[in-house]
Amino acid sequence: MKTAFNNCLRKRFYAGIVLGLAWLTFAPSTHAADADLKPGETIGPNNWQRIQGMVGENFLNRVKAGHTIQIKAPKTYRHLKEYTDATERYSGKVHLGANGELIGYVAGQPFPKYELNDPQIGQKLAWNFFWRWLGDDYKTGGAVKGGKIIRSVIEKDGSERRADLVSYFLFPRTRYTSDPKPVIPGYEHIDYMQLRIDSYPRDAAGTTTLEIRYADPNRADDLYIYIPSIRRIRRATTTQRCQTLAPSEFNLDDINSFNGKVTDFNYKFLGEKKILANLSQEKLPFDRKQGDYLPLNEKWEVVDTYVVEITPKDPNYCYPRKLLHLNKVTFDTHWTLIWDKRGEYWKEQFGMFTPVKLADGREVWSVGDVTIVNVQNGRSTIVTSTRAYNKGYPASMFSLATLESIMRGGSIE
Amino acid sequence: MLNRRRKVVVIIAGIGLMHLLSGSALAASILGDEWEKFFKEKVTISGFVENTTGLSISHGSRFFNTSNRFIMNRLTFQPEVNVEFADWAKLFVSWRLVKEPRYNAEAKSRRVAVSPKPVEPLDNTFYDEDSPKPWEAVLDLKPSDVLKIRLGRQFISWGETDGLRLLDVINPQDGTFAPPLAPNLFDLDETRIPSWGLRLTYTIRPVSNTNFEFVALPGFLDEAKQRVDEVLGSNDTADGRVRYGRWSSYPETRMPANLGGIGRLFANPVGVPVVIPSVTRDLPDAGDSWKIGARFTHTIGQLNFGLGYIWGYNPQGGDMVFKLKGLTGGGGVPTTAHISLINDRTSIFAGHFNYAIGDVAGIPVNTALRGEIAFYPSQPYNIADFPGRNCATGALTGLLAGPHCKRGLADSDAIVEKNTLRYAFGFDRTTLIPFLQEDPWRPFRLSFQLFQRVILGYEDGIRVFSTANKIPKISTVLTFRAGTGYFGDTILPDIFFAYDPQGYWAVNPAVSYAPARNERLKFTLTAAIYGGKDKFSFPGSLSEKDSIFLKMRYQF
Repeated sequence: MKTAFNNCLRKRFYAGIVLGLAWLTFAPSTHAADADLKPGETIGPNNWQRIQGMVGENFLNRVKAGHTIQIKAPKTYRHLKEYTDATERYSGKVHLGANGELIGYVAGQPFPKYELNDPQIGQKLAWNFFWRWLGDDYKTGGAVKGGKIIRSVIEKDGSERRADLVSYFLFPRTRYTSDPKPVIPGYEHIDYMQLRIDSYPRDAAGTTTLEIRYADPNRADDLYIYIPSIRRIRRATTTQRCQTLAPSEFNLDDINSFNGKVTDFNYKFLGEKKILANLSQEKLPFDRKQGDYLPLNEKWEVVDTYVVEITPKDPNYCYPRKLLHLNKVTFDTHWTLIWDKRGEYWKEQFGMFTPVKLADGREVWSVGDVTIVNVQNGRSTIVTSTRAYNKGYPASMFSLATLESIMRGGSIE
Repeated sequence: MLNRRRKVVVIIAGIGLMHLLSGSALAASILGDEWEKFFKEKVTISGFVENTTGLSISHGSRFFNTSNRFIMNRLTFQPEVNVEFADWAKLFVSWRLVKEPRYNAEAKSRRVAVSPKPVEPLDNTFYDEDSPKPWEAVLDLKPSDVLKIRLGRQFISWGETDGLRLLDVINPQDGTFAPPLAPNLFDLDETRIPSWGLRLTYTIRPVSNTNFEFVALPGFLDEAKQRVDEVLGSNDTADGRVRYGRWSSYPETRMPANLGGIGRLFANPVGVPVVIPSVTRDLPDAGDSWKIGARFTHTIGQLNFGLGYIWGYNPQGGDMVFKLKGLTGGGGVPTTAHISLINDRTSIFAGHFNYAIGDVAGIPVNTALRGEIAFYPSQPYNIADFPGRNCATGALTGLLAGPHCKRGLADSDAIVEKNTLRYAFGFDRTTLIPFLQEDPWRPFRLSFQLFQRVILGYEDGIRVFSTANKIPKISTVLTFRAGTGYFGDTILPDIFFAYDPQGYWAVNPAVSYAPARNERLKFTLTAAIYGGKDKFSFPGSLSEKDSIFLKMRYQF
């Protein structure tokens, strides 16, 4: 009994050390790294210390082992006027409820004015992240050559599998550009709807999912799946959100870095931090060696972020701790770091961004390549998922009637 | 010879078309830049090549020994073409080309088993498909955001069930290739015959998924296909045509007269073998009947449901009900019964629902509940009186069974009509079982289904036509399915199990290997195994058909 107790204590001690080391590696301060990295500077195994704490631990280890990166001048984006207008118009009435829910929200950024010493700052930043500008709708993969998301799954031994898909998002109650604004009548209770269609390889092609996120914090997402092999729609539950979406390393809540219900988690603001990111990815997908996830020929820039720690309200949730690094302007995430229940570093996710044009010629930003690495099993997944915004998709497209209309290899546009 | 030449022409034309569609450089040189642009941007080609080898592992029988023989060696090539003419008009066409050489041992065994003449065994090209007619050809039209029209040869699958069908009765079933209750071996496409027709979907209110759907399949547009989809055989030899497929439980004439066969229903004797040794049957060919259907679907909160009506039905196997048209023979002993299928025109009032359950009282249930219900008004059944009686005179015939005398002794057709209710409930959930997984967060998909048929106003004597086995007032089948993925979904085990509490069962285990280096390849090792207390009810009747299969598939 005593031995078991000692073992338990020992394990906790070691776990604490590991957690502490991991924390030191990526602590929300810049003391270990040089925040004054200059454009043109090259970082490699000889000077990796200069980016320590500015990238994920696993990525840093690869730099130590020989990978080199180059620093470039930062790219800045500005919010669209209509998003800023909506923020100014509606944010005054927004506040947090007792359980962290958003009350009085209509459109725009919920909390444009915040104090970093506000006890609720973590929750407010989380809502700013959730309601960041993502257009009235978008097609993920729409700005990739070929118009599809390219997903590459890389095994530890370098084996690779590819899959192609597209996904369509509609934000029916936060519309900034297309009429009706800000909400499509009848859709006030829906935050977003997503259609996802697999298109390659052939056996997966035509598999289509419809996912609906409701504004009601107590209502779980709806998920319907059209399965071509049985030619019918099946209902799925979404409450088991930790399940691996094999063969990728993502789970349901890893999509877009953090896809959980905001009210299911607690948020702690850990501080401001300069990190390395890429807001102007040059090639989609980025160049890399076959069987490896490391981007080649892409440069990195110093970006100001807020670091938010996410902990679940459900003690059985898979990620007891997840760190988001939120861009101070766009509120997108650049680095997402995940620990497991033993306190061991588990997954590392980094997203690159790239400029895209709206139909009227204005420049906005979109995610480019997103990479998630499971440092425990050595598998990684890269998703090239550049968006085409404001395509004017009708709400009727996001219904069950659409699911049954997809033919293998076909499209719904 | 002509047949062979036709095949060669079809194959060459197919390859030529594929080459033309896929070769942009060639297209440019022949058809010009506009066509090249069109092909590049609007046309996609995909498909698969698959080889399935089946080995019978059953003990066989003294009539037809299939033991340890290759029971299937099927090579399928299926090219598929998508053409996007415009946002509102898209075309999908696929062709299915199948070649299945048969081993001499099987052909020889069948030849020996077929008796009496002139019935011939299945020819060696029986399972081949080389028609230039598209397997599937649909034109999708979208006149508006809320109206979708699909015209052409298509599959329409209604319902919620898996492995067994209840409302999925619009396309005729084809048991030619796929053994029953083996969803891990073949997809639905392999077990249905696509039908020419119209499917229209009108979205009344998209936010609540309120849709109206109408389907119409005029059977005369279908090329009559020989009905080979009966899983229960019979002693059908009088017209000299073989109608039985690979999975007919008693192929050709294996059930000898002295054991009853089809004649059991009408004249199973006591002692003296005077059963009807042979029958002729009027069978509508699969897919040659009109079908129409309509349904409304709607969502209220977590509940998604639909209500509909289907007219037209393709009964299979144990569902088939025959009416005696006449007997021929001499000396008071019938030798041939002329019978006709009567329940291929059936009204079905249908409903289905699905409902997602998350937490109940704080307990994570995480289950999707689904169900189907079908009401068949005045569903016909074959019925027999015991002991056999002459309906005209009322006198006992001395036979164990005889026709059911309904309204007066002269009125008998061995048919009775009963309102029938069929329903199914399914429970699906994903469950983490960490100690059985290398990735503790890769879930197992678990699915449980209950199927029941209730015959309202039940009478004794309602029997399955071909085996004369009793149909109980309430028939039940339970199914369970479990599957998961290991090592990044490169190893994919799955098992399907069906159980009839009367004492029959089927199991379909499978394990697939999807190489981590090539997403186009997949290898599946699976088995279809049947059992039960006897061979007179499904699926115990298939116990001689136990087989294992290796399926190799390349997608392009």
